[in-house]
Amino acid sequence: MRHVPVPAFALTLFALTFRVAPIEPMAVIGLAGVLLIVVGMVMPWRWPIISAACIFTTNHALALWATDAPVSVLGAAGFGLAQLGLLQSADLGRCMRAASVGSGVVRAQIVRWIGFAVLTLTSTMFGTGVARSLSATLPVAVAPMLAAVGAVGVVVALALAATQAGRRGNG
Amino acid sequence: MTWRVTPLTLSLLTVTAWVLSLAVLTARPDLFVAVLPLALVLATLAVRPSAPDYSVMHRISGDRVFEGDTVTVTVEVTASTVVALLELYEPLAAGCVLVSGNHRAVMTLRPGQTASWSYQISYPVRGVYDLGTLLVRVRDRWSLRWQERRHVDHKRVRVHPRSAPLRGLPRPLRTQTSVGDYVSRAFGEGIEPGDIRQFAPGDRIRQVNWRASLRLGTLYVTQQHRERNADVVLMLDTMAQVGTASVTTLDVAVRAAASLATAYLARKDRVGLIVYGGVIDWVRPGSGRAHYERIADSLLRADVVFTYVTKDLKLVPPRVLPPHAFIVALTPLLDRRFTQAAVDLVARGFDVLVLVVSPVDLMRAGVGVSPIDQLACRLWTLERRARLDELRRHGLPVIDWNPADPLEAAIAGLDRRRHRAVPVR
Repeated sequence: MRHVPVPAFALTLFALTFRVAPIEPMAVIGLAGVLLIVVGMVMPWRWPIISAACIFTTNHALALWATDAPVSVLGAAGFGLAQLGLLQSADLGRCMRAASVGSGVVRAQIVRWIGFAVLTLTSTMFGTGVARSLSATLPVAVAPMLAAVGAVGVVVALALAATQAGRRGNG
Repeated sequence: MTWRVTPLTLSLLTVTAWVLSLAVLTARPDLFVAVLPLALVLATLAVRPSAPDYSVMHRISGDRVFEGDTVTVTVEVTASTVVALLELYEPLAAGCVLVSGNHRAVMTLRPGQTASWSYQISYPVRGVYDLGTLLVRVRDRWSLRWQERRHVDHKRVRVHPRSAPLRGLPRPLRTQTSVGDYVSRAFGEGIEPGDIRQFAPGDRIRQVNWRASLRLGTLYVTQQHRERNADVVLMLDTMAQVGTASVTTLDVAVRAAASLATAYLARKDRVGLIVYGGVIDWVRPGSGRAHYERIADSLLRADVVFTYVTKDLKLVPPRVLPPHAFIVALTPLLDRRFTQAAVDLVARGFDVLVLVVSPVDLMRAGVGVSPIDQLACRLWTLERRARLDELRRHGLPVIDWNPADPLEAAIAGLDRRRHRAVPVR
């Protein structure tokens, strides 16, 4: 049972990309990601899974860029959720390896994922609406700069949050 | 307790940075949307998690077992608060074998919920093993942080050597004064009929042999043989051992000693133990079930302690070696100092039997089949045969026991040879 979610999420990522650009190079890169997933499941290493997640993302970005596909908010949110699911289920699978698993663990995880998916989709819809109204007020020339600064800001903020969380104790 | 960031957090952070970089480079809004779930989960790091409250109870099915028996370990966890994901791990001691289940567990608990997890282990080799140290790791809701604790509920499992049932035992040449199972040559109270003699004042009427009295015209009484017990001292050679992991000459000798102790105690004999090696340990002769526990405890600690010093049996208190005691020496005959000690005991007038655990037969299974190995085994056998003959020349009865055979078969015909020479007194 613990082996099912990881390949399922990997195939979802592969399929979402292949749906955007059903061409041979995309399939080859996607299959390389799937191969890394298999290596990550068999061997006790984390790096194949992280590398596979990065390969799937790169593949998806290439597919979107190459085909200049129309923006699909739901598809993008689904891709992000699948990527989160892939990393979390791989971590949970590692945790469950050679262990007796309590009856509620898988159920609690599924409930948590469904709840989070609903929350993400809601916040995505809300965020898209806000972004649409903001885009009308911003000049087109500064948009790429703003996006880059925003991206760096988000990464730095999350890294700081992670660092602080690592240092913080709660008694 | 300190929360620490998990490797999953670092993975999520890496992928988030990668997706954002691609989003900026390709200028695709889809990728900004795709990064949202990852960023949202990572944003929960800013919220301080509540400290999980739970209690752990550790139980084992038995703290005294025999080699190869299974012990069931049960761990119960009761949570007072929500525990999103709890990992429990109990390291197993070297030599412990997992029979069923896992010694790792993962569980999720609601407030007030109790979850239990159990697994079975066995110990193939005697010894004292510690259990009860649990490594507990609690994760937060999204497995971004964890807390590690060490729960210690110390338990000690004593694994006693497995004893084989023995019906026939080497009989001691001399008995003691207490009541036991050996029919003594001396007359007195007993149930085994012996000689008849003329009635004497003081004799009981129930002892009168009416048949003989009527035939001979005067009163005769039947005398009974006394039934006595013996003091048996098991002397274990821990000077040296050969063999592999759980099958060394010492392990085999310890199992034989446990079997002999069980069988002699069942016969109401008093049984003592001397562990003769780098460190001398002893148990005074005694009887009963509690006494077996004392002997077994001493046997499970028996180990080879190397020393150049020749241990003198004068160190052993006289009460451990009572007069007329029957000494069973268990040895692989690897160290001449033990042989010398056995010969000394014979010189001091003790009734000594040497049970030799054959190291050659034990090693033959482990070594290869090459001609050199086989030649070495043959040479070793010849050398050992010479040493056994030397012991026999000192008047010591010797049993050469191949551990592959049952002990009972090895000791079977010994008594006939011993008692033909010396009668029981």
